Amino acid sequence: MDIVILLVVLVGSLGLSVIFGRYLARMIVYEKRPLEKTLGKIENGFYKIIGVDKYEQMTWKQYFLAIVVTNVIAAGFLMAVLLYQNSLPLSPRPGLSLDLAFNTAASFVTNTNLQHYAGEQQLSIFSQMVGLIFMMFVAPASGIAAAFAFIRGFIRKEFGLGNFYVDFTRIIITLLLPISFFSALLLLFLGVPQTLDSTITIGTLQGGSQTIPIGPVAALESIKELGSNGGGFFYANSSHPFENPTGISNVFECILMLVIPLSFPIAYGHLLGKGRGISILAAMLIGFGVMLALGLSEQSGPTGLETRFGSFGSTLFMESSVATNTGAANAALTGMSPNAVIGFFLGMFVQAIPGADGTGMMMMIIFVVLTLFLVGLMVGKTPEFMSMKINPRDVKLAAFVFLIHPALILIPSVMAYTTENAQSVLGEHTTPATFTQVLYEYSSASANNGSDYLGTSANTPFWNWSTAWIMLLGRYAPIGLMLAVAGSFTLRDRKEVVEPIKTSGFLFVGVLSVMVFILTALTFFPFLAMGPFSI
Amino acid sequence: MATKLKQSIFDKRMLKDSVTKLSPLYLSKKSPVMFTVEVGFFLVLAIGFLPNMSLEFVNENRIFYIETAIILIVTVWFATFSEALSESQARAKVDSLKNLEKEVLAKKLVDGKEVLVKSTSLIVGDRVRVYAGEIIPRDGIVHEGKAFVDESMMTGESNPVFKEKDNPVLGGTKVANDSIVIEITSEAGKSFLDEMVGLIESAKRPKTKNEIALTILLAGLSIIFITVVGTMLFFGYYLGYHMDISVLFALLVALMPTTIGGLLPAIGVAGINRLARDNIVVKSGKGIEAAGDCDVLILDKTGTITEGARRAIAFVPMEKFTEHDIAEAAYAASFSDHTHEGTSIIELANEKKIEPPFLMEIMTAKPVEFSSETRLSGIEFSPKKKVSTTQEQVSKSSLPRTRVSAKVEDLEESNVPVKILKGSVEAILKIATNVNEPELRWKAQEISKNGGTPLAVAVNDEIIGLISLKDTLKKDIRTKLEEVRVSGITTVMITGDNQITAQVIAKEANIDQIMAEAKPTDKLNRVVEEQLKGHVVGMIGDGTNDAPALAKADVGLAMNRGTAAAREAANMVDLDSDPSKIIRVVKLGKQLLMTRGAITTFSIANDVAKYFAILPAMFMKDNPKMEILNIMQLHSPESAVLSTLIFNAIVIPMLIPLSLKGVKYKPELPEKTFIKNMMIYGLGGVVFPFAGIKAIDLLLSVFMR
Repeated sequence: MDIVILLVVLVGSLGLSVIFGRYLARMIVYEKRPLEKTLGKIENGFYKIIGVDKYEQMTWKQYFLAIVVTNVIAAGFLMAVLLYQNSLPLSPRPGLSLDLAFNTAASFVTNTNLQHYAGEQQLSIFSQMVGLIFMMFVAPASGIAAAFAFIRGFIRKEFGLGNFYVDFTRIIITLLLPISFFSALLLLFLGVPQTLDSTITIGTLQGGSQTIPIGPVAALESIKELGSNGGGFFYANSSHPFENPTGISNVFECILMLVIPLSFPIAYGHLLGKGRGISILAAMLIGFGVMLALGLSEQSGPTGLETRFGSFGSTLFMESSVATNTGAANAALTGMSPNAVIGFFLGMFVQAIPGADGTGMMMMIIFVVLTLFLVGLMVGKTPEFMSMKINPRDVKLAAFVFLIHPALILIPSVMAYTTENAQSVLGEHTTPATFTQVLYEYSSASANNGSDYLGTSANTPFWNWSTAWIMLLGRYAPIGLMLAVAGSFTLRDRKEVVEPIKTSGFLFVGVLSVMVFILTALTFFPFLAMGPFSI
Repeated sequence: MATKLKQSIFDKRMLKDSVTKLSPLYLSKKSPVMFTVEVGFFLVLAIGFLPNMSLEFVNENRIFYIETAIILIVTVWFATFSEALSESQARAKVDSLKNLEKEVLAKKLVDGKEVLVKSTSLIVGDRVRVYAGEIIPRDGIVHEGKAFVDESMMTGESNPVFKEKDNPVLGGTKVANDSIVIEITSEAGKSFLDEMVGLIESAKRPKTKNEIALTILLAGLSIIFITVVGTMLFFGYYLGYHMDISVLFALLVALMPTTIGGLLPAIGVAGINRLARDNIVVKSGKGIEAAGDCDVLILDKTGTITEGARRAIAFVPMEKFTEHDIAEAAYAASFSDHTHEGTSIIELANEKKIEPPFLMEIMTAKPVEFSSETRLSGIEFSPKKKVSTTQEQVSKSSLPRTRVSAKVEDLEESNVPVKILKGSVEAILKIATNVNEPELRWKAQEISKNGGTPLAVAVNDEIIGLISLKDTLKKDIRTKLEEVRVSGITTVMITGDNQITAQVIAKEANIDQIMAEAKPTDKLNRVVEEQLKGHVVGMIGDGTNDAPALAKADVGLAMNRGTAAAREAANMVDLDSDPSKIIRVVKLGKQLLMTRGAITTFSIANDVAKYFAILPAMFMKDNPKMEILNIMQLHSPESAVLSTLIFNAIVIPMLIPLSLKGVKYKPELPEKTFIKNMMIYGLGGVVFPFAGIKAIDLLLSVFMR
């Protein structure tokens, strides 16, 4: 049975990603989409409203700036909603504190969805729907747009990386909205509620009555998984029966999380060579396979797990969720086995197996560049990617991308201890288990993952501010650096020469997978040994 | 070799260099990795002397600190030693090359007397006398005298140019007759050996692109490991481990890519040195690196692929004549032609035991010199001389007469001057019309098809036949070019020959593409064209008209016998003037890059084992769960740390020979090379330190309790 479920998830997500991969490729190079005329009209209307010339092309700097500006405006809006939700309509609740509002805004705009609050208790329906669901479209659309621009850097020659506003609009209207609309319908059918009421009152079997929080769950749930967001309507996230009622919805949500990240290598393959795309996909799946194998190597639970899903259903969902940096959870992290947690860490450290919507693909390309440079000299030629020479600046930028992540995880973790903030939340005596929780918090923040152990207990100014800044740095610094890489590649001549090391085929997949693993392991091995390994 | 190495090890300057390079100031600029190791040395040493610095993080005994400090500084010294060693070897080579560098001696006029001086010592305003056959030492103007100067090597103009007072003359050109006094007008150029010295001396050595990128990557990895080890200190402390600063530093040094970081400078210098061993002077590091990337080689046919001297290989008569006829005519036409081609025709005739009966006439005939207008050469004689020689009649009748000798006789008898000329088919057709032209053309084409060059021979207006001249391929050029092709490099042959001839030679020599009937400027065009397609182009050249192309090419190898302009423009100069050496250059360039890549991969792969050696040593005492990681079962935590550090240090000198000699390069598909090196340096790099550290630990355990 377990095998069947696993196959359904893998075949389902891969099958859908073949379809969406082709579609993404069309979007990247502005080829005709289905219903192009109608869609074009709607989009043109939007461009007019926001005053965008859709033919204007941006350099990597302009593109990055557009992402940042758009996201800052969106985050500012969300922060205002959260701060003043008491005076806004639809079941008003007290406004959040400044640090929690900042943390939540940063968390949702960076596609992280780290939640230091309990949704059903602290947020109004307005905040959830207008604030969070809105942001759940903005964040992945920004990430996907960045990846579009990034991939264009390898296709186009001195023609800019595209127009962010155009990409952003098109991604929301013709990719995220339709899919999430239909999946919300499917989730409704599977038993997920959708209402503007904040509670329902039902009679219990004992004859009393009980008030249960409820809301527009299906709408949030579909984009939560599709957009690698992961922030639950309820504090219990996808283990709540309203978010994830049955085994079937569990499988469907897994597929939703995996589909866009897996579509990217296929789109990449359409644009830059089938073999290359399949090889990247293979490397991603190998990494994901290692995570799954770690998770399944040890029985999780039973405490902290939903009996509806059991060890297998929980592990499958959790590994899919962490691997795609969605961060949704259908089980408590404390219920997961140490091996499964090591698997989670692996996913968050690599960020590219398959990683979040868009950014996972970008990160994998950075690994490809690093790998090619490290081992590529061995064939006696200056390493090349896409037949373009890798120059010192590319190496510098790629090394920075690779360097930022451990720095953002390890240094704040030390700060949490030296400032006693870790101890005040997790107890004076530090054990491997509590250390794991601290490490996980910042790994999750830096990788823009969103799953965490601490939850509302981390709703203190230190944790709110620190994780917020880590999320912002962990999101925009790599995107900026990666766009800079694409920006410098786009200036180079398209060559007709053969790459010294083919970026496709078994050999390349093997070398890439090993290098990704070794580079990650060398950086984080001691901490895994001190943390989850010693639990 | 062993004694040579020993000598250089005890070279005082080198030892001194290796010590001065230990200066933190130098290292911080040149090798961030080694600089960090040195900082570790000072830190651990300080702890060794002041163990009370911190009670929390200093837990080992003093001897351990001192030992660790010594190993750390020795690690750094091994690195500086490798650099100094390769520099000293290269310096020795430069000295020996100095003798080979083209030094023109000049006869400087001092108070009216000629003094023999080196051309490099001349300054502006000096006057030198240059005699016929001597090279003009440097650019100047004629001060006195008149002479013809052969400027062909500079301008390509084959006729000597007349120069008189106040005419400018070019350095490197040759005075053809008489002697002139020249006033020097230009400064001495920088000798290219001086430029090479700049590449060897560490202070001046500019880093190549790949070196820069690699240094950045290594620095990036170092920063990551510093972050890792630095934060470990805190986490370990809070988790209740007994953390020790020196052990952490040991872990840091072990993890950092010290091997490649230490050997990187040595590898670069060794590349220059290995080229110098082949008598190739490198003027910029960029050139060697580009050599490895080179995927298009533009080769001149003459001199590179072929010997550059055409020889007659066959006589092809027209239908009316015999081989004997054409041989006689060819003999006559070539009699006063003393070029290589001319003599080879005579030789071929001699080989075939053919000698024209009218030898007397030939000997006394007036030579017709080759000129650029007619493009013909041969002899001309008038019948007048014939009149009195009656013996000839006898001898003539006694010999079997060929058609040609008969014709000559007939012409003489009818008092018509006899002209026997040879030249290209086109040139001959202009003066000789009595021929079946289609037959002639067909036969000429047949010769071309076999890679020969046809020369037609005519007696007055009748064409007798053709001589097939052929350039012979250089020895081994076929196998050399086959190797080049296997490594994925496209070869382009440039030649002035026609398409058909060029194709034949290309086929024989394993050339991929040809550029036939090429003019000198075509070379530059081709270089630019290939570069636009993204290729890295290598070429050789010696003439001044090659200079622009040499400068434009990624790898430009100039011949030492070539002109100053060519040597100036190229980024390498071959002192032996052997054009086929460009193939060696490409090989060496590849080796250099491979060596860097191999040692980088090895260095990073080593880290896996080092984690397994040091982590259990750090944590096992306080956390029994870490026992699982202790797969190496080392003697004690101290011995584990020390043996890892010792291994880390001695890997550097162990790899010095590899860095100096370079990774073995075999011409094969890049994929194959990659798999092979990945196995040796990647997989080997993972496995080897497990064995090495364990072995050192076993040795150490004898000395430790």
